[in-house]
Amino acid sequence: MTRNMRLLASASVLAATAFAASPAFAAGTTAGTTVTNSVTLDYKIGGIDQNQVTASDTFTVDRKVNLTVSEVGTTTTTVTPGQTGAVTAFTVSNSSNAPLDFALVGTQLSGGTAAHGGTDNYSVSNLKVHADTNGNGSYDPGTDLETTYLDQVAADTSRTVFIVADVPLGRATSDVAGVRLTATASEATASGSLGATITQTTGANTSGVDTVFADTNADGNVARDGIHFDEDDYTILAASLTATKTSRVISDPFNGTTNPKMIPGAVVEYCISVANAANSATASGVNISDEVPAATTYDSAFGILLNGTVTGSVCNPDGASGGSYTGGIVSGTLSDIAAGVTRTLVFRVSVN
Amino acid sequence: MKIWLALLALLAPATAMAAEPVSLTSKVFVERVKPGADGKPVTVREEPGVVTPGDKLAFVLRYRNSGGQPATGFTLTNPIPPSVAFTGTDDASASVSVDGGKSWGALASLKVVAADGTSRPAVAADVTHIRWSFGQPIAAGSGGELSFRGVVE
Repeated sequence: MTRNMRLLASASVLAATAFAASPAFAAGTTAGTTVTNSVTLDYKIGGIDQNQVTASDTFTVDRKVNLTVSEVGTTTTTVTPGQTGAVTAFTVSNSSNAPLDFALVGTQLSGGTAAHGGTDNYSVSNLKVHADTNGNGSYDPGTDLETTYLDQVAADTSRTVFIVADVPLGRATSDVAGVRLTATASEATASGSLGATITQTTGANTSGVDTVFADTNADGNVARDGIHFDEDDYTILAASLTATKTSRVISDPFNGTTNPKMIPGAVVEYCISVANAANSATASGVNISDEVPAATTYDSAFGILLNGTVTGSVCNPDGASGGSYTGGIVSGTLSDIAAGVTRTLVFRVSVN
Repeated sequence: MKIWLALLALLAPATAMAAEPVSLTSKVFVERVKPGADGKPVTVREEPGVVTPGDKLAFVLRYRNSGGQPATGFTLTNPIPPSVAFTGTDDASASVSVDGGKSWGALASLKVVAADGTSRPAVAADVTHIRWSFGQPIAAGSGGELSFRGVVE
């Protein structure tokens, strides 16, 4: 405090001096805004009002470039082997105090821990980046077009971006493919085209609008590089089917159904059971084909029973008629098999 | 002729100011926390080079009575600039206004009245003006420094 400060009237007291937290500003004052502080001084000499004295000082608000890519939601995208057009969604936010373009790149992880746990162990194919062209936040094939950049993203706004990819066949439940969306801050110079990649102003401050990178190092990003990414993953949920074929002798011409033996004229029942393991995807359209063994004759009177049950490893004599027998082949299509469910196809033959 | 008049207009305020027996300057600085010589963080005031939203500002006002007589009724009035939120001052003698300069007082004594008539205690960000009124004359040849702080919105 200078000596003259003691002259100040002590009547008015501004108590609060410690304002711990700065207010949080999202985008804040637009880059290029000129801020001028003006102070006026009124005084008297010999009791007579003198001309008011003014003073001012000016600075320019520079451009703070801050962008964030974040996955929409907090869970993996569950896919089935062979699924096409599987979608993961991201939000790309411009927290800068100026409009920006964002260059977009979708990439795949190569090993390593994926966003929602598990190790990346396969790659999706046909990976494309699509904009949310109609702005409804969900992917609409044919409407939300493939893109390499976001055009003219206003300060303090965000857009949705989709990674769309195909899932290969032959993957097992819990296999994980990690994907990453990277956005690079670019100049929003012209509408309809991607501007130049923004560089930070190095060296001394200029009188014009300087650029400062302010992006964070969240989620493995590099702080203050004008680039931000986030990851999501495709986790396989496949059906896990096991087929088992069993047979039993029903009767023979001499013993009837009491301890029948496998002799000519005996009736043999075949059961093909298909089990879907727990925590698997529901399997639909499961089609079974089985050749009737040589030296036997298909029992057309019994027919074919579909969708029966199994107790332990023994097929139950249930199910409903269906399927077909053509050219020595028994075939039938089972109903949907949910996780943990077993369904059967049963037919009979007589031994020649 | 027009040019001549324009020149006169430019010169006029400058000459008038030069003739005043008091001087006044306003300087804005950016306050940044940097590691000091002993490694501990210290707050330094820098020229407002790179300034972005969220930066802390210090406004420093210097005055001097360079005339031969004491100045009385000495009052400095500083509207908070647009795009700046007032955060405080260390000068306990300052009074502030949250209504554009109509009423003045310590921040804790002021209220903000909403459109629906309800009122709430004023906070620093509500401050629209800061003012220093000196109760005693500024002696000839003496001067001083006042400051307040803000943050770029």
